[in-house]
Amino acid sequence: MIELVSTILLCVGGFFYFAGTLGLLRFPDVYSRLHALAKADNLGLGCILLGLAIQEESLAAALKLVLVWPLALSASATVSYAIARRADALGIKPWRREDR
Amino acid sequence: MMSSVTMTAILCRGALLLLLWWILTEGSRDGWLMGIVAVGCALWLSLRLVTPGSVRFSLTGLAAFIGFFIGNSVRGGVQVALIALQGRRALQPGTLEVQLHLSSPAPRILMAGTLGLMPGTVSVRLDGRWLRLHVIDERMPIAAEVRALESRIARMFRERI
Repeated sequence: MIELVSTILLCVGGFFYFAGTLGLLRFPDVYSRLHALAKADNLGLGCILLGLAIQEESLAAALKLVLVWPLALSASATVSYAIARRADALGIKPWRREDR
Repeated sequence: MMSSVTMTAILCRGALLLLLWWILTEGSRDGWLMGIVAVGCALWLSLRLVTPGSVRFSLTGLAAFIGFFIGNSVRGGVQVALIALQGRRALQPGTLEVQLHLSSPAPRILMAGTLGLMPGTVSVRLDGRWLRLHVIDERMPIAAEVRALESRIARMFRERI
């Protein structure tokens, strides 16, 4: 049972990493790419960590895996703000749809 | 003589740091001496950086924030994954300026950071009370979502907004 849930979580995590990378390649400007990377990859990481944590036999090792999530989240939130702020300071205008 | 606020802070933070050490060493008892030293240093640093009693913090508020955060992370991740699969034609980006009601800097920074992980928004610039956001789709009800997050953060820091 645990094996099955873990496999599903790992696959779902992999899918979100795939979607995040797809967004990175497909989206038109730095700001939209940050949306794809920050959100999809963080959800992917959360699923993968949870999938690994439930396989662990010791509670401490499982908690250690879970703790990686908030650490990586705070790093990615900070870095994505830093990139967006720099892009804004350099005067990079967000991409807009023309057909509106 | 130490005040009771300081005593409580030492006990709570010490217990949390010990728990963290236990997790990091995966429950092994080999490095306990090193652990005591590390916990002592971390405790000292935490007391220097955050004076006991200077930050008002609510544990139930934290629990509510974590629940809200996880729910919205899932929603944000699914949403952006769907947009990525559809490609550029699903995008309708824009910018939005919002005025924050949070009064101290730490909650505002937490707000700007968290919005980068919430559905549809990335923080571009935080300037005092003003926060500029890049939104992935202007048709989403972004302003309402920003307010919902802000009220959770205010509750966690016991701020009245």
